[in-house]
This record gives sequence, structure tokens and C-alpha cells, in this order.
Amino acid sequence: MASNPKAKQPKILILATLAGGYAGADSTGQAHADYPANTYILPIMCPVMFPPEFFVRAFERGIDGIIIMYSGTDSPYKVEADGTAALVNSSYALMKERGIDIRRLRLAAICTVCVKPFLKEVNQMVELLQGIGFVKDELAAPVTASA
Amino acid sequence: MPDKQKAARKAASPDKEEVRVGVYTCHCGGNISHVVQCERVAKALGKMPDVVVARTDPSFCSDAGQAIIEQDIQELGINRVVIGACAPSLHEQTFRNTVTRAGLNPYLYHHVGIREQDSWVHDGDPEGATEKAVRLMAAGLAKARLLTPLEPIRLGAEKGALVIGGGVAGLRAALDIAHQGIRVTLVEKSPFLGGRMAQLESIFPTDEEPRQLLHALIEQAAAHPSITILTGAEVTAVSGYVGNFNLQVTQHERGLSEELAEALLAACEQEAPDNFNYGLTRRKVVYRPYPGCYPSTPAVDWEHYDGRPIQVDGKAVVLKDKPQVHALTVGAIVLATGFNPYEPRQGEYGYGEITEVVTLPQLIRILAQVPQGEPLIWNGHPVRDVALIHCVGSREIEGVHTPQDDGQVNNYCSRVCCTASLHTALELRRRFPEINLYELYQDIRTYGRGHEEIYNQAQSAMVHFLRYRGEKQPEVAAAPPGDTHPALVRVVDTLTYGEEIEVPVDLVVLAVGMMPSPIDALVDMLKVSRGNDRFLLEVHPKLRPVEMAVRGIVLAGTAQGPMNIQESLSAASAAAAKVAALLGQGRVELPPFVARVDESKCDGTGACVEACQEEGAIALQTFQENGHEVRRAVVTPANCTGCGACVGVCPKRAIDVQAWTLAQYEAMVDALAMDIPAFAEAEK
Repeated sequence: MASNPKAKQPKILILATLAGGYAGADSTGQAHADYPANTYILPIMCPVMFPPEFFVRAFERGIDGIIIMYSGTDSPYKVEADGTAALVNSSYALMKERGIDIRRLRLAAICTVCVKPFLKEVNQMVELLQGIGFVKDELAAPVTASA
Repeated sequence: MPDKQKAARKAASPDKEEVRVGVYTCHCGGNISHVVQCERVAKALGKMPDVVVARTDPSFCSDAGQAIIEQDIQELGINRVVIGACAPSLHEQTFRNTVTRAGLNPYLYHHVGIREQDSWVHDGDPEGATEKAVRLMAAGLAKARLLTPLEPIRLGAEKGALVIGGGVAGLRAALDIAHQGIRVTLVEKSPFLGGRMAQLESIFPTDEEPRQLLHALIEQAAAHPSITILTGAEVTAVSGYVGNFNLQVTQHERGLSEELAEALLAACEQEAPDNFNYGLTRRKVVYRPYPGCYPSTPAVDWEHYDGRPIQVDGKAVVLKDKPQVHALTVGAIVLATGFNPYEPRQGEYGYGEITEVVTLPQLIRILAQVPQGEPLIWNGHPVRDVALIHCVGSREIEGVHTPQDDGQVNNYCSRVCCTASLHTALELRRRFPEINLYELYQDIRTYGRGHEEIYNQAQSAMVHFLRYRGEKQPEVAAAPPGDTHPALVRVVDTLTYGEEIEVPVDLVVLAVGMMPSPIDALVDMLKVSRGNDRFLLEVHPKLRPVEMAVRGIVLAGTAQGPMNIQESLSAASAAAAKVAALLGQGRVELPPFVARVDESKCDGTGACVEACQEEGAIALQTFQENGHEVRRAVVTPANCTGCGACVGVCPKRAIDVQAWTLAQYEAMVDALAMDIPAFAEAEK
């Protein structure tokens, strides 16, 4: 998928656990499976280290979508499965408060060889952002009564 | 040491001093540069703040490439290094060594993966890939600015290991560890060594006698001066951490003195189901599972012994269990707790309702009791037709198969049952040539060396193959009275294009899969993780395949998942190698990626302690400061896994995981979010 250098692309941040999503992204690379280049993967030990404010701050800085790729119940960290789900729920609450569409933050269990699920998650986020647009536009818009 | 390097070393201290970053973009022999315009990346990064030098090279991991980085550190006073190259899993350690050789702290280097996660996945979009490389490298630079020098965690280590499980994997691990001069305590829950392998009669692909092989291992282990064997024993308490685990092991009384053992065995009248034969037969409650077992002294089945006296030489002897408690300190623990065969639920393929339905492990024990040359009789009838059904308790499908008590189905393949089933079919063919054999399978997975030959031999030996689909399982029913055979198997056979075939049989054999041993208490005590399949979970299936996330605990054999004996032994030797590497020096060196408390910010809210799930990793302590009592969190690095659960909940941002701090992530996000013109400007 070639990017148009003149067209601004939404930015997708992928926080990927070393034991899961990050290795899954490497596997996707080894398979030479194509996906859009506006995706930036940062390795993490475990998602529970982030407070909900971290995600909101990232959106406010101009990250349009965030995918947390964790190891789910297959994590080496006991806290990861339940802790991450709780974190995402708290983050959704804060995002709603700040008028950020909660679909911009997704949680996905990605294993070390999950090439297809990795691509599916990325492509779904790309498709979503094509529909809902840039986060800065959303933040600039006046907040309407929540549903 | 050159002056600039001294300056750099000084700058690397936490004091506010000049940060001087070297940024290196690797062509990776064209793997990256065929897509990413590395020179543009270097040019863009070179104009960013704090970057002293930005270079490219065909291969920075080569000796020549590494020499460039070393030279820059020494001659340009570089005190932070960012390298964009292949995946960190491949060369992160290489470059840590590079910067260390040049005199820089190894944790002042950051690796950015721009091959697997950039050039290899965006080869149709070189412009996008180049921009992405710039952003990722800029994020790496942002992190590098905030890196601080770190030292590995060094702990004294007890030069001893505990191996839990006395089956083939535990024995192999114990011997391999002991051969490295490390003291081993081998704890086996049952009164005898050997595990599941002792219940087999012949092992594929070599057709050797398993108990002979086990005997050789047991003899060596029992004779080894560095190995202590505790049978009838269980771990009942654990504390401490890698290098210094403190354990309590509770050992049941064997119950019999050497002098009276044989007399008690002979005189004992009470019986119980014989677990060695999977409950098909009964044995005395004073017993040996099989001739030649180790230890040879009979044991008492405390679960079933009812306390009645046993008459020996006119004396009434009452056996008493007085468990002994052993205290151990070890540096590492090997979990070789093995597996249980899947126990079909009542009525599954007629199991427990039709007496002609048995499991494959039961059939192996049945055959062991039939003398060579004698016919196979079951329930008083000669066996003429046998159906072996594969994948019982394996490859189950949610919505099709009945979930177990925990609500799960076993969706994994147990891997060994196909070959085991075919191997047993060949044994039946050899011993009872007149029997008709039917293998009902989904897929044949004879994946190991020499296993496919067993499949070929079974085909040549006129074993009939019927293939069913997972969502349409075969059905087993009792035949109507007066029928020629006691049971009837119905299968929709995809090999004959979906024809429903009825096979009248005398025996139905369920090739059951593997389930992990019931070790809930041990899992809770050790705080180790299990996968969705309930087997113990390694840190990483490829990169750290026998290590658990709890440092100092390693896996051997089928505790980790279905394996054949060869694989179990390989895993056991790998586990032993890990233990030897860990404890060989008498001290343990661990990565410094653990939580660290900023004392100036911590006011003892205790949120971190509440969030932490690692035993003994963090606690609140009270200190006296300027005449006041203050409470602060204190981390025990050896117990911390670096998950960061404490970081996310701290209201004061007073705790972070070293080298993975929240501030570093925020800086990286800022770099990623930077507007395009910033890069365009940088390229001018």
C-alpha cells in the first residue's frame, strides 16, 4: 500500500508485549505480509504499566488510534490478562470524559506467531480511522451530550 | 581513556550533563535499504537535537560495523547509542556487547527494529517505510536521551536445585544438573520413581523397553553423590527468590521397615484399585507397582489403607503415616510434574457405560497382562475386531464437544497419540494376527523421526483407516443382545466421500490426549503462569522455551505441554543447562528491568503494593527522617518481574520500571506524533 506523501495519514500506535504482540509483529515481518506504514510499534513488558492518562495524553498529542497487543491469558505475567482489561475499561471512561471516541483504543490478544490476527487488527484500525478521521478534529469539536 | 570518552562516561551519570547520541541506520545487506532510504533517515536524524553523529552502514552487526560504533564512542564522546536494524531479539545483545567494549554502560543503547517491522512489511511503499523509519528512530532517540546507566542485579546463589517430579524428565534433569557439580534434591509425589513412562511396555520408534531405560537413569541418579531422592514427598511451602528459594517438603512415611516389609507385603489382605493399571485391576494396599521398581521397598497406599492391623508372625501391626518435614534452600527449581492421560467423561464414546470401551493407556496395561502367545480375551470373549478412535480429549471444538468442569474444551493436539495408537495397532497385529484393526482418525500426525514409518507399516499391516471430521465424531453404542459383537462403532468416513460405516467390534480403544498433572497448589505457591491449555507456560516459546517468568524456575517435559519421551528428555536437558548456567558461578546476574522507587516522590500510598501480584516484590517500609516517620515503597529486585503493575497505579509517579519508564514512553509518543514538516525541515 503506497502512501501519498502529500496526504496526511492517521497515526496508529501499537503497544506490543515482548512476549506476545511484538514477537507477532516480527513474525508478520518474517512472512513479508504487507500492511500500512502509518503504524508504529513500541515494545512493552506488560500493558498494566500505563495509567489511563497515558492513552489520553497520546491522543491529545496526535496519535489517532492505539492498539494494545498483549498476550491475554497466555502472558507470563499473572497480572496481565485481568489487569489490562481493567486498564482499558478505565481508559474508556476517561476517553469518554474527554470526548474521544473509545473505538480509537483497542485491545487484542496477539501471540508470537499470530500473523493473520495481527494484520486483521491493524487493518481494522486503519479502516476505522478512515471512517472517523483524525483525533485532533475530534478534540477540536465541541463535546456533545454523551450517548 | 580518551578525554571525550571520560566526558561521555561522566555525562552518562544521572547528573545533568551533555547528552551525545550516535544514531546508526543499518542497511542490513539490502534487507532494509532496498526499501527504506537509509541515507535520508540518517540525514533527518542527524539534524535532531543531541545527535552528534548519524551514520549508515551495510551491516553494523559485522566486525567492521561494530568497530565504527566503538570508535565513535571513544573518539566523539558518544554516550547514548541508537541503532535501527533487524529485530532486537536478534542483535540487541550483540550491540550491548559492542558499546560495553567501548566503555559505555550497555543500557545506554537502544535498538529500533526497522526490518521485520518496516522494510519487510512495506516494500510496496518505500516513501512510507522511510518516513516510518525516521519516526521510529526519532522515538528511539527520544528514549535514549532519558536512558540512565544500569547495572545487572547480582545475587548470591545457593548451588543447589530442586527437581519436582521423578519421571523420565525429572530424572534426566536431575542427572544433568548433578553432573555440573550442583547439588540436587529430587522430589517425587508418589512412593516410586519412573512416572508415566514406567506404565508403558514398548516405546516408539525404537521398540525399546521403557522400564529398562528408566532403570538405567534411576540407577545413576540413586548412586550419584550429589542427588538426594525424596519419594512420597511434596513441596508444601515456598518463599524467597532466584538463587535463594526456601522450601518446605513434606514426606510421607514409607510405613514399613526393611525387615518387616516383605512379611507385611505377603500378609496384607486389604486391596485398592491399582493405579499402575489405571484401575483395571486391584492390588494390596502394601504394594510394589511392578517388579524392579525403585525404591524396591514396598510402600503403603495411605489413601486407601483403612488402619486395620496386619498380622505378621502372630503380631498385629498397625501402619502409621508420620510425615517428615524437610527444609531446603535451593537456587533454582525444575518443574517436571508431568501429565495425566485424559479421563473420558461418563458416556463419552460409551466410556464407563460399555465395558468394551477402554483408553489406550488401559489397553497397554491389558496387553501387558496377556502372556505372549495367548489370545486376547476381554470380558470373557475373544477379541476379533478392535476400533481405535483418535483425538479423544484432544482437538476438541467449542460448541461441538462437551466442556469440562472448568468450562473449557481441550482444543490442542496432544501430538503423541497418533503414533502411540498406530504403534499399539502394530503390536496387536504382531501378537494377534487374526484381529481386524480400524483406526478412526481426523488427521494422522506422525511428525517425529521414524514415526511416519510406523504409519506406513500400519498401512502395510492391513490396518483399516476411517477418517472422520472433528465436528462429526464417531458414535459408539452397545450392540443389541444376540449380536455377533458387543459394540458397534458408526463413523461418517470422508475417505469414502461421507459414507456412514458401521463397524461391529469387540473392543473400542480411545486414544486419549494429555492433560497437565493436577498441581494447583504448587502453581499457587510458586506464582507461576499457565497457558489457556492449563499447561505451565514458558516466557517465550522460541527464545526462552524452558524458562518461566518467575526467575529461577524452569520447565522439563510434559508439565509444559504434550511431548513424546524424546522431546521430554531434550526439554529436561535444556532445563538442566539453564540451571547450570544460572547457578554455576554461585551467583545470579539478572537484567535490571525491575521497578525502582523515586524516594523523593514516594509518600507511601501503598497503591503499588496493592497492585503487585508478585510475592515479596514490593512492600511498604517505615523510615525515620528528620525526626519524622515516613512510609515508602521498597522493591526487592529479585522478586520483581518488571511488569509495571505498580507504575500504572502510582498517583505520584514515584515508581518506574528501569529502562522502560513512563517518561520514556511519553517521549517516544511525542516523537511519533510529531508533524511531518518537522522531518521535512530536518531533511533540508
